Amino acid sequence: MPASGCDAKAVFGLPEALDARVTHYCPGCTHGVIHRLVAEVLDELGLRKSAVGMAPVGCAVLAYDYFACDMVQCSHGRAPAVATGIKRGRPDLTVFTYQGDGDLASIGMAEIIHAANRGEKITVVFVNNAIYGMTAGQMAPTTLPRQVTTTTPDGRDPDLCGHPIRVAELVSALRTPAFVARGAVHVPGEIVRTKDLLRRAFRHQSEKTCFSLIEILSTCPTNWGLPPDEALRWVQQNMVPYYPLGVFKEPGGIDRAPKPL
Amino acid sequence: MFEDRVTVLVGHFGSGKTEVAVNGAIRLAEGGARVALADLDLVKPYFRSRAGRELLAAAGVDLVAPEGDDAGDLPIVLPRVRTLCADPEVRVVIDAGGDDTGARALGSLSDLLGRLGVGFDLVLNFRRPFTPDVDSAVAMAREIEAAARLRVTGVVSNTHLMGQTTPAIVLEGCALARETAGRLGVPLAAAVVEERMRDAVDEAALGCPVFPVRRLVQPPFDQEGYRVPRSGPLFRVL
Amino acid sequence: MAKKLMKGCEAIGEAAIRAGCKLFFGYPITPQNEIPEYMSHRLPQVGGAFVQAESELAASNMIYGAAACGERVFTSSSSPGISLMQEAMSYIAASELPVVVVNIMRSGPGLGGILPTQSDYAQATKGGGHGDYRVLSLAPWSVQEAADLVADAFDLADFYRTPVYVLGDGLIGQMMEPVEFPEDRKPLRPLPPKTWATTGWRGDRPRAVVNSLFLDPIKCEQQNAKLQARYAQMRAEEVRSAYYGDEGDLDVLVVAYGTVARVTLTAMEDMKATGLKVGMLRPITVWPFPRDALAEAAERAKAILVAELSCGQMLEDVWLSTASMRPVHFLGHQGGVLLAPEEVSAAIRDVAAGRSAEVRYAG
Ligand SMILES: Cc1ncc(C[n+]2csc(CCOP(=O)(O)OP(=O)(O)O)c2C)c(N)n1
Ligand code: SF4
Repeated sequence: MPASGCDAKAVFGLPEALDARVTHYCPGCTHGVIHRLVAEVLDELGLRKSAVGMAPVGCAVLAYDYFACDMVQCSHGRAPAVATGIKRGRPDLTVFTYQGDGDLASIGMAEIIHAANRGEKITVVFVNNAIYGMTAGQMAPTTLPRQVTTTTPDGRDPDLCGHPIRVAELVSALRTPAFVARGAVHVPGEIVRTKDLLRRAFRHQSEKTCFSLIEILSTCPTNWGLPPDEALRWVQQNMVPYYPLGVFKEPGGIDRAPKPL
Repeated sequence: MFEDRVTVLVGHFGSGKTEVAVNGAIRLAEGGARVALADLDLVKPYFRSRAGRELLAAAGVDLVAPEGDDAGDLPIVLPRVRTLCADPEVRVVIDAGGDDTGARALGSLSDLLGRLGVGFDLVLNFRRPFTPDVDSAVAMAREIEAAARLRVTGVVSNTHLMGQTTPAIVLEGCALARETAGRLGVPLAAAVVEERMRDAVDEAALGCPVFPVRRLVQPPFDQEGYRVPRSGPLFRVL
Repeated sequence: MAKKLMKGCEAIGEAAIRAGCKLFFGYPITPQNEIPEYMSHRLPQVGGAFVQAESELAASNMIYGAAACGERVFTSSSSPGISLMQEAMSYIAASELPVVVVNIMRSGPGLGGILPTQSDYAQATKGGGHGDYRVLSLAPWSVQEAADLVADAFDLADFYRTPVYVLGDGLIGQMMEPVEFPEDRKPLRPLPPKTWATTGWRGDRPRAVVNSLFLDPIKCEQQNAKLQARYAQMRAEEVRSAYYGDEGDLDVLVVAYGTVARVTLTAMEDMKATGLKVGMLRPITVWPFPRDALAEAAERAKAILVAELSCGQMLEDVWLSTASMRPVHFLGHQGGVLLAPEEVSAAIRDVAAGRSAEVRYAG
């Protein structure tokens, strides 16, 4: 603190777990907000020094430059498998993946489902922006019905492409205990709630309770073709109704007896 | 052409937006203006403005494109594009991506660009298979407008066949471009003519200003003379 | 330690554990299932972890992760599974991580069959995945050598920060032989500490980032140059081969590796009485290929016979190494059909007698 004699106190600054550099994300992209939340939670829980993050293939590929912790850049969709390798080798490390919807829910669907099903004690931050950002706007498994993308020029037709995959619901259908939730970052209230979800997820990891996955609804103004403020509203109007926010699964208290078909 | 402080160039893939943008930016800079060229071609990482980095740097044009280790060739919109567009001291040329797909990124800037009232020029090459006639050019313009959320304000005739262009081809394309402009209700802003052909083209017959260009962005196997040792992966700039 | 009778697959697993490997990730495929089975039983005894992955794709990325945090790790599979791992192999090579991969080769292409071949030679020696990289590939011819080479593979992987393959045909994995594990094995070379490993950043070293993305073309080219320099060092220092037979002029020089070299040695014994002068060069590293040893032996020979369980993959390296010095003949089987000693001795006699047609590079 400067020795200015005034008793001003810093109440906001860069989290220790984020490097002091400008990210490459487009104006209005909420990848940056989500980075910050993850970093704040690592700081608050004192996990930064044991953290190893998995960067995906997707717009967040350069996350290895932004998080101030050890990082591994993974091939497209395989982050949960790479995280498994690290966590099994070094259970003392705090291992998290940061993945987009193409990465996690398309090419990497097998890896995420099986990591969750094995109950790997890792934390998955799943950024759902309903489109492929890095390859410039193609359909994602989470693209909404009738949403226009470069590969669905007339809008996604569920008869041809199926319906968007609700990852949080899908993963919570597994019998293995887990903490699974969906948050959003398009309004301050949701940002606060999402941070709390992330905090709970990382705490489950540090207490070795279970696998955790937090799906976070995010914007892609550039490929949605919307100005930043409108993109935030688009999340509320179009994504939230299809992707309800909340906690889908908690480790304790679930009935593990087989359910009737 | 390039009369508004901010000029956006749109058109089909390979219609010649980049060539027009690079030539235009250099000309503005030679005229003494502070010029920024924003490469918004997120769709196709080859054959676009950032390949001309060295050339533009030498001309004093500020190239705004993801670079090097930070984000080189990631398909992103740099925040600086917004800052520059909002700065009354800077002339900005925006090289958008091809067709409505490439123009979609403009939609994310449409709040700002709409407020500023920018030049929004449609570059047309009728020798490209996607726009063989006026109807298809008009349809494409409408698609681009919808994706970019901005109206076309002018048409630029750029019909050519690279090295095999003849004066007749330039004139033929210019007539189609004029008709397209009429249908869109906007002026034919200019006809692009390669400098080496200027004497051969009857400028009076074009009926619009000539925008002379040098073919600057070329693949390395297509070059004569000076070569810049390092540029993009596929590129050297003449 | 007293000798034990072990299957090749078991010896490979035991050797890995003795090399300090505490992690195994793999997916079942015949004819190597005994390796994951052995590991699933042994690793918990030594405080390690075994994971049956959901696919070879996942298994290969799990070893990527385990290697990234500095642990000794290996996986094993057979041909179709190794194909599925090629994406990760390219990433692991590019990110400079040490892993050991055992390929108990079966027949292909496609699903092929489960019997022994050597038809993944080209994949193992020319890179295998995308981009410019090579993988150090060791080819044992006995269960004992498989165990020894697995131990060496871990050291070589750590020293060069590269994937190392142990390339065995189905026979190596399945046959039983007595094996001995040395009690006081020293590392092949002094191994540097893994300061690059992602073990959590406490500020006492630069941040560890395991990465193969280089968007700047110049940096990407520099990374390629760095890898190539390492491959040059491997070519200079790691080539291994063994020579058997007459030391003087030869009627026929046979080039064979793995179990085919065993078959050839038997054939050479069988034909001692014929008076033919026969030698055999056995590559132990198939990459780097023992080019100089082969050229030196070829100098002394009238003709060369390449014997392998493929349609002629090592054959190409023999051509390149001997540069048309001597006529090259070929004997091979595919699809899981083995070579018998009688076939090899007959082929040697045919070559010596001029009854065999030379094979030339056909593109
Ligand atoms: C094996 C492989 N296939 C395809 C690609 C190309 N690719 C890069 S990123 C991407 C999709 C990224 O979308 P998403 O995961 O939704 O992340 P976002 O960019 O939207 O954050 C694809 C298909 C690749 N790098 N590797
Ligand atoms: S392309 Fe989309 S997801 Fe990628 S940085 Fe830009 S806004 Fe974000």
